[in-house]
Amino acid sequence: MKLSVDEVFRKYADRIFSAAFSICRNQADADDVVQDTLIRYYSLNKDFESETHLKAWLLRVAINRVKDISASFWHRNKVSWEDYMEELPFQEPEDSRLFQAVMGLPAKYRAVIHLHYYEDYPVQDIARILGLPQGTVKSQLSRGRTLLKNSLQEEWDDDE
Amino acid sequence: MTNKQRYQQTFSVLHASESSLLEVTKMKKATKRYIPRLAAVCAAVILVMGLATVAYAQDMGGIQRKIQLWIHGDQTDAILDIRGSEYSVTYQDGQGQSHEIGGGGVAFNPDGSERPLTEAEILEHLDAPDVVYRKDGTVWVYYRGQATEITDRFDEDGVCYVQINANDATLYLTVKYDNGYAYSPSGYIQPEEFN
Repeated sequence: MKLSVDEVFRKYADRIFSAAFSICRNQADADDVVQDTLIRYYSLNKDFESETHLKAWLLRVAINRVKDISASFWHRNKVSWEDYMEELPFQEPEDSRLFQAVMGLPAKYRAVIHLHYYEDYPVQDIARILGLPQGTVKSQLSRGRTLLKNSLQEEWDDDE
Repeated sequence: MTNKQRYQQTFSVLHASESSLLEVTKMKKATKRYIPRLAAVCAAVILVMGLATVAYAQDMGGIQRKIQLWIHGDQTDAILDIRGSEYSVTYQDGQGQSHEIGGGGVAFNPDGSERPLTEAEILEHLDAPDVVYRKDGTVWVYYRGQATEITDRFDEDGVCYVQINANDATLYLTVKYDNGYAYSPSGYIQPEEFN
């Protein structure tokens, strides 16, 4: 199956942006990642087995791209995520606190946490997308959950 | 509400900018060479490192300039037209057929704000090495007047390292087969460092 770039944008751009932002914590960088991922999709002209396959591919490309950006020096002087989150229309105060807690995690935990809690991926799929051993994903997920629990207390359930 | 529901509700407020789609839409409209926004920043970085620009410009008034451009090893006259953060280059090939390439990009100021690429930065990008996959299956690196076939030089991971010597600089090019390339004047960029 193959979707047009417009269809990919409508269906997946927010997911790509969200995954990218959860790692790089910068709106401009996350938008660049969306753009680069769409360009890659368009340029590759690849057929996918299913939308599940397509979504995983898009997220893998996006996360690889955001890692490149995050390691670059020009990443340092940007609008902070704290300033950006002031513009976000969170529905409840707990959402804002969760957002802050996630942004406060180390990057390697943010990626795993996001793919699990937002995209609902199991460990095996997260390992494939991130190119990490399953054991590493498990330990990062566990450590990330613990840090969120420590930060959010009763607002975060023990769900391991 | 479960943790997952809470998390999904929280992060559902994040939305991609519609502008992310614009560059791809532009690409679809014409066969163009595109400078990704971040690649444009790379070009700026290389300028800071002092790599010289070899294309020269002759003022034609306004923001349009006549330049000399290397296209697949052949030097040709071209017109560079810069409009804000976008540019186009028009030239004629050896058969007299007209072509247009173009793109756009921004660089970041030290305070994090964006600015359009300067003319020098665009020229620098246009002077960069190019990797071409020919229809006959061969792969070539073009840099200024040099053409180097690298078809058989990819390792088992599909990576090829090419050292390019020019008059005023040495460039170290890392090519991932059909998956992009990166170069630096200071040493090979590792394959995992770029997409």
